[in-house]
Amino acid sequence: MKTGRIPQQVVVLSVIAVVVVAGFFGMRALFVPESFGKYGHYRADSVDAIRKLPIQYGGAKACAECHDEVAATKSQGFHRGVSCEVCHGPAAAHIEDPGTIKPTAPRQRELCPLCHNYSPSRPTGFPQILTAQHNPGKPCMSCHKPHDPVPPNAPKECSACHRGIWSQKLVSPHASLECSTCHEVPKEHSVDPRGFVVSKPTGNQACERCHSNAALAASAIPQVTSEHTARYLCWDCHYPHFPEGKK
Amino acid sequence: MDPSLLEPSTGYIYPNEYFLQWELLIVLYPYITGLVAGAFILASLERVFKVKALWPVYRLALLSALAFMIVAPLPLLAHLGHPERSLEMFLTPHTTSAMAMFGFVYAWYLLVVLLLEVWFDYRREIVIWSQESKAPWRYVYKALTLGATDISDAAIKFDDRAGRLITIIGIPSAFLLHGYVGFIFGSVKANPWWSSVLMPVVFLFSAIVSGMAIVMLIYMVTSWIRWKPIDMACLNKLGEFLLYALIVDFSLELLDFIHRLYESEESIHILSQLITDRLFISLVILQVLMGALIPIFGLVAARFGRLPDEMRRMIYFLVGILIQVGIFSMRWNVVVGGQMFSKSLRGLTVYKVHLFGLEGLLFTIGLLLLPVVILYVLVKLLPPWIDGQEDGALAAQPH
Repeated sequence: MKTGRIPQQVVVLSVIAVVVVAGFFGMRALFVPESFGKYGHYRADSVDAIRKLPIQYGGAKACAECHDEVAATKSQGFHRGVSCEVCHGPAAAHIEDPGTIKPTAPRQRELCPLCHNYSPSRPTGFPQILTAQHNPGKPCMSCHKPHDPVPPNAPKECSACHRGIWSQKLVSPHASLECSTCHEVPKEHSVDPRGFVVSKPTGNQACERCHSNAALAASAIPQVTSEHTARYLCWDCHYPHFPEGKK
Repeated sequence: MDPSLLEPSTGYIYPNEYFLQWELLIVLYPYITGLVAGAFILASLERVFKVKALWPVYRLALLSALAFMIVAPLPLLAHLGHPERSLEMFLTPHTTSAMAMFGFVYAWYLLVVLLLEVWFDYRREIVIWSQESKAPWRYVYKALTLGATDISDAAIKFDDRAGRLITIIGIPSAFLLHGYVGFIFGSVKANPWWSSVLMPVVFLFSAIVSGMAIVMLIYMVTSWIRWKPIDMACLNKLGEFLLYALIVDFSLELLDFIHRLYESEESIHILSQLITDRLFISLVILQVLMGALIPIFGLVAARFGRLPDEMRRMIYFLVGILIQVGIFSMRWNVVVGGQMFSKSLRGLTVYKVHLFGLEGLLFTIGLLLLPVVILYVLVKLLPPWIDGQEDGALAAQPH
């Protein structure tokens, strides 16, 4: 059962290998777009295809031409960097035909938490809430004006905006310390956080008040000599909101 | 509630480091590919290096490698989503991407090495079964012959030579397959936990260890299920090779550890915190103590101690399980551990396994059970048993 002198197994496997290789090149010819690889590892024609897609967004400038009052209010508020269509949706069609096509206006609770629900990865100082605990069921608009958002009442707790730091400090040896132990907090900071910033310690003195071996403090508080801190700032090694980095 | 609120990260970490991008499925992936490479290298010990004592597990090791190989890419496909797009990797090869090139390593290993080796090894039996079995099995075997029905002495001799040649090609391929997985981690230069030239070698030897141990477990369990006696000469030899591989693997890991400690780069503080805090149980207890030290002592006692066979079997079985736990922990420590500390080297994040969902525990357990099902089908189709038969004898008639 030999085909000439070539073993039968080699013949059938060779046939399969040829089919597989031919299949590979056939599939390439069939499925790989012609313009693939012209500019890089992608289909070059996709650039034109994307360019031909209808434009959905009108841009905030176009909105301001008609809605100048709202635009003026928004330009002074915290949402000045947020484009109108972020909340109202794409509005190019509305610009073309303002009378019949109206953009959406979110009035419930779904939209705002996309940015303002607590996430540890948001920058500190960014206003964040725990949606489930923060006035459950109430639309955000009933207390906050979206075009000029300020809290209805100035937040009393630092955690309203600095939740990430607050939750870390809560389980650290520094839990019992007020934020104002180390930071000077201007009264106006809670209503105008960027206008009145809190101070941060600039030298080791803030820590040495408790942690220097010359300080009057409870024996449980770790204390170090001045040599320990001579060449470094304390926070080069110790994160003040979670000093020893252990649970 | 978000778990990070209940159990916060410690120290300072960058915003994009709170949540892990590579979770349980990516832990599973190197674990399963390791089993493939290890099982194949075990099979090659018998085939290429002629360790005759391992004959009873040769075919079982091959089929196990095949079963795990079929499942190996599934964790990746599930993790990435859109599995249908994976084929594009072959159609438009990206030659400078190690991950993309791996598709070809996988295809080579599955199609050219494993399937061909199984085919050449079973061809004689397949042809006989295609003539003697009843329908519909007869047609299955007929299809499996691929039309090559010649079982003359010359043809069988050729099968044997071809099988040996494929195994010789297969050993570097198996090394490449699992070396690649370590290479992927070892080449992430921004991550001090991963970035190490020893990584591919450590992965490779841990693969050999886990693969040998899983074949040992499968051999013992299948023998028990079939009420057949376990070949103690084979089991002892298997235990012996497992011990050697385990010692090399553990030494390499220790070398890597000592090297990092001696080099003492700027990351050493956060890495030591990672080990003593986040990875203490999975690294020190599970990987080192239960996954390496206890198995080494167990294997020494079982292989070289004067113990009754019953006791040896029990030790081998427990050692096999401990090694699986240890190697899985090693994959966990590499994949998860490498994402738990901040690139600022100042803080650690937390990771909790989910129960449901694609990256969840239940799905992972499902994927771990899938090779067992595939192996069951393979064993039914191509029985690897050689109970009481001489080398090269026809296996039991299956259907």
